[in-house]
Amino acid sequence: MDAIIRLEKVNKWFGPLHVLKEIDLAVAPGEVLVIIGPSGSGKSTLIRTINRLEPIQQGRIVVDGVELGDDQRSIEAIRREVGMVFQQFNLFPHMTILENVILAPTRVRRVPREQAIQKAMELLERVGIADQAHKYPAQLSGGQQQRAAIVRALAMEPKIMLFDEPTSALDPEMVGEVLDVMRGLARSGMTMLVVTHEMGFARDVADRVIFMDEGRIVEEGTPEAIFSRPQHERTRSFLHRILHH
Amino acid sequence: MRGPRFLPGGVLRRLRWILVAALLVLAGVAAWFLFFWALSVGVAGYLKAVQFTPAKVAFYADSIRKGAEVTLKLTVISSTAGLVLGLLAGISKLSRNPLFRLPATFYVWLVRGTPLLVQILFAYNGLPYLLGPLWDRLQPLGVPPIQDVLTDYWAAFIALSFNVGAYNAEVIRAGILAIPKGQWEAAQSLGLSQAQVMRHVVVPQAIRIVVPPLVNNVVALLKDSSLAYTIGLFELVMAGQRIISATFRPVPVYLAVAGVYLLLTTVMTFFTNWLERRLQLRGA
Repeated sequence: MDAIIRLEKVNKWFGPLHVLKEIDLAVAPGEVLVIIGPSGSGKSTLIRTINRLEPIQQGRIVVDGVELGDDQRSIEAIRREVGMVFQQFNLFPHMTILENVILAPTRVRRVPREQAIQKAMELLERVGIADQAHKYPAQLSGGQQQRAAIVRALAMEPKIMLFDEPTSALDPEMVGEVLDVMRGLARSGMTMLVVTHEMGFARDVADRVIFMDEGRIVEEGTPEAIFSRPQHERTRSFLHRILHH
Repeated sequence: MRGPRFLPGGVLRRLRWILVAALLVLAGVAAWFLFFWALSVGVAGYLKAVQFTPAKVAFYADSIRKGAEVTLKLTVISSTAGLVLGLLAGISKLSRNPLFRLPATFYVWLVRGTPLLVQILFAYNGLPYLLGPLWDRLQPLGVPPIQDVLTDYWAAFIALSFNVGAYNAEVIRAGILAIPKGQWEAAQSLGLSQAQVMRHVVVPQAIRIVVPPLVNNVVALLKDSSLAYTIGLFELVMAGQRIISATFRPVPVYLAVAGVYLLLTTVMTFFTNWLERRLQLRGA
């Protein structure tokens, strides 16, 4: 298997706090990887190292054949290929939805404006918010904003998508519409790393589930294996708490 | 929106900006002359009403108009230079590189910790001594002597722009810091370079935050420019003083001078309020 993302012995500290401990991870192209774990376990930090929003102190990260280093050019090259969706959407409030979506394609990829708009409208259509294209983020519901944020990342035609708790800031009735978009994306063959508390989504969509605790990968396997036959006590107690609260 | 076919959209958009900018400059110049014409008519009417010698009224009114023009001109050019200085110092203060950060921090500390009056006196009386030896070396190149360059007007300009620049730096630094970290991260995760993040995401949002306090600084600068009176600059206060020396009527003259300041600051306040409303985020 030729991994599209490879982490080797990755260690990271926030000051004295050891947040990632000896992480080894390989992700295959087209794989959907769901990362679960208690808050503070390092799961968000882990996916944020992949596009260098968080620098690491030890280890290697190779994304799509490029090793992440300190050099800004290589960091920007990797970021072009890796889309990211945030818990708080982080849409640009001073731009319309359409302007949000075409900013990076026109400025980074130098796609002609007309062409970028056409592509953006297709994507907005696909997630069901084409009619919101000329509104500002604050005029949209949370679910619509998050779908727009997904489209903004997709407009760069990334090879990998990172989702950092994409539904945690949403009202419960809007979670479904965002997960539906993510399901569609997974079916289309996108490589996805998803940090989430949505166990139903993990069970249905994931090829592999990783359980993290205290900066370590404690256990990994198919959704079936993790949810039905967890091997570690910590995994069991976490799943017990989250599924029977 | 759609222009002739042989012109790409970008060129057309740029042409329109140039046209709009030219019209704005033209309108600004027209407004300037109209304003000062109306001012001298108004002041003349006031002086007549408070019974100044009719034969002298036109001369006094014109004198106040001239003073007000110097005050406003000095404010406009000093605040423009102060904006550039403030941008440079404000961004430098946020730099991780100490070569940028430390000089900027020193500048802001020095200027904000000393009285403007001292800065103005220093620029006028001290700078020629300080720069003199260096300046003399430039004389063979045909540069005029420093006393001819550092006139009261330009000394006031230097002191005022450095002064307002330091206050602007703090405003701009705070404005940039007010942009949530998530905005940086979202833009960076899309592959935008640092400069592109600044230009397309951070600065447009920071402008909305910094414009009201920046205009505040300009209003303060307009009033503080009166300190240039002490180095003999003929500005609004000096114009008033001259009339008082000739007429011994301080009350109506100071009222007129204060009234002109009040008029200028009120116009500026209306302008900021309007700007603030225009910059409001839609839907927010």
